[in-house]
Amino acid sequence: MATVPESGMETRTLGTTGHDSTITTFGAIALNWLEQEGANQMVEHVLDHGVNHFDVAPTYGDAELKLGPKLRQHREDIFLGCKTQERDYEGAKRKLHRSLDRLGVEKIDLYQVHGLEYEEELDEITADGGALEAFREARADGLIDHIGLTSHADPGLIIDAVDEIDDLETLMFPMNPVVVGQDDGEDGYEDVLDRATEADIGTLGIKAFADGPWPPTDELAESDRPFCNWYEPVHRPDEIRERFDFAASQGLTSVVNPGDPKLVSMVLDAARRYDGMDEATQRSLVEQHRGADSPVPQQLHH
Amino acid sequence: MDVPETVATALDDRPVEGAVCLEAGAGVGNATAGLLAADADRVYAVTDDPDHARETRQRVGGDADRAAVIRADLRATPLPDDSVEVVTAHALCNVLDPAALSAVAAELTRVAAPGAHLVVDDYEPLPDAAAVRDLFAVENAASELAESRAALTFYPAAMLRRLFAGFGWAFDRRRTLLNPVPWTERHVEAHADAAREAAAELDAPLRKPLTAEIDRVADAVGSESAGEMYSLAFWLDG
Repeated sequence: MATVPESGMETRTLGTTGHDSTITTFGAIALNWLEQEGANQMVEHVLDHGVNHFDVAPTYGDAELKLGPKLRQHREDIFLGCKTQERDYEGAKRKLHRSLDRLGVEKIDLYQVHGLEYEEELDEITADGGALEAFREARADGLIDHIGLTSHADPGLIIDAVDEIDDLETLMFPMNPVVVGQDDGEDGYEDVLDRATEADIGTLGIKAFADGPWPPTDELAESDRPFCNWYEPVHRPDEIRERFDFAASQGLTSVVNPGDPKLVSMVLDAARRYDGMDEATQRSLVEQHRGADSPVPQQLHH
Repeated sequence: MDVPETVATALDDRPVEGAVCLEAGAGVGNATAGLLAADADRVYAVTDDPDHARETRQRVGGDADRAAVIRADLRATPLPDDSVEVVTAHALCNVLDPAALSAVAAELTRVAAPGAHLVVDDYEPLPDAAAVRDLFAVENAASELAESRAALTFYPAAMLRRLFAGFGWAFDRRRTLLNPVPWTERHVEAHADAAREAAAELDAPLRKPLTAEIDRVADAVGSESAGEMYSLAFWLDG
């Protein structure tokens, strides 16, 4: 269900969590590259645009610490997602408490398995003594409300996770014209979205603004890259808007901004102005990005 | 098999499953791939271009019991009357000049069985402001000089609709496949190559300046999203 509240930014229900998340989620990794005063301003800027869903992780430098002050000031207005890369019970429990301490809050609304990559990891987190045991215990104790998972690995593995984790309420995964155009006969991220939607699982899109890998370091040194993302992001306002509209029109609950703070304001503006994208334009973007690594030879037509 | 979204979208409301199909003008076999993916019983991929025939054969070779690539001129399509249930002309008409288009339309109608379906996907004429028009202009100039015919003609959907109606096809629907059409660097380079190939057949006094102009225009265009690709669907009222 999509609604546009007075704040002006459309919201969509985040699966069974019941939370009406704004169509953009603030990826608080952006705060890592700002001093505290700038981080405070950034949070106020994001909230001024009506954004009500934030996402952070202990691996984002000191983003948790920098988010803390404004998070505590506006705690009621923010649905807070956090995550852990720990796969066993003890590690996950320790990291959750550490995040609660660093953020300075009593509860995290959504706690996610961060960056699932391998089948063995899925086995470990779902087994006795696995991370999910700590998640569920924390939920029973009121330290978290909902359980989610994030991954930019094999879509088939993410679908397995949906099948194996009954109380999974959200998924975070890549969505952009490049991944939609991939058609290698295997499950794609579109299939993940379909499966999640069918199971009433909330969906958060990442990599929506990825343009491609950085040039090799002998052509462009890491220290000379103009953005902090580990991929080269699109960065013109029209491109940002196009990519936002594409991702949001695929049916995701919410689209996460790229991690570079220079890009956040453009994403907020795109989200505020979002009004859908017709299918012919979506196909146009997919087609534009198809072909670079397609096995089909150079052709005159589409 | 990699099926472009354009083809998948053009076919998704057509009764392809179990049908005998013809891809008229196979190109690299995009529609053939789409028809096979949509569970066609049999697909004839017809093209007069040896490179296209080879590429399509390579692409669908794994499905040899369902797909047959035939190298032939569509103006004399080597299939019997009333033998095909679904015909696709995916990005075909723009490479046919008016005389060839009319002859091909007659042949597609002849081989189509009563009640057959026809899908015609093509490009609306480009807007005046589109830079890529300059590229198609030099491609056409080279082709006119070398072969006395245009390489490309972008027919409006409304015109093709009336043309096929004249051959007895009942109009079913129009869809927009791409808007705008992304003419990527790869497409621009492919058209520039086609233009250079035509120019290479000319004598030096024409070849040299034309080739230089092709290079200049291709470089200036780079890539551009412009125009519209549409899909028309018809059925044969018989």
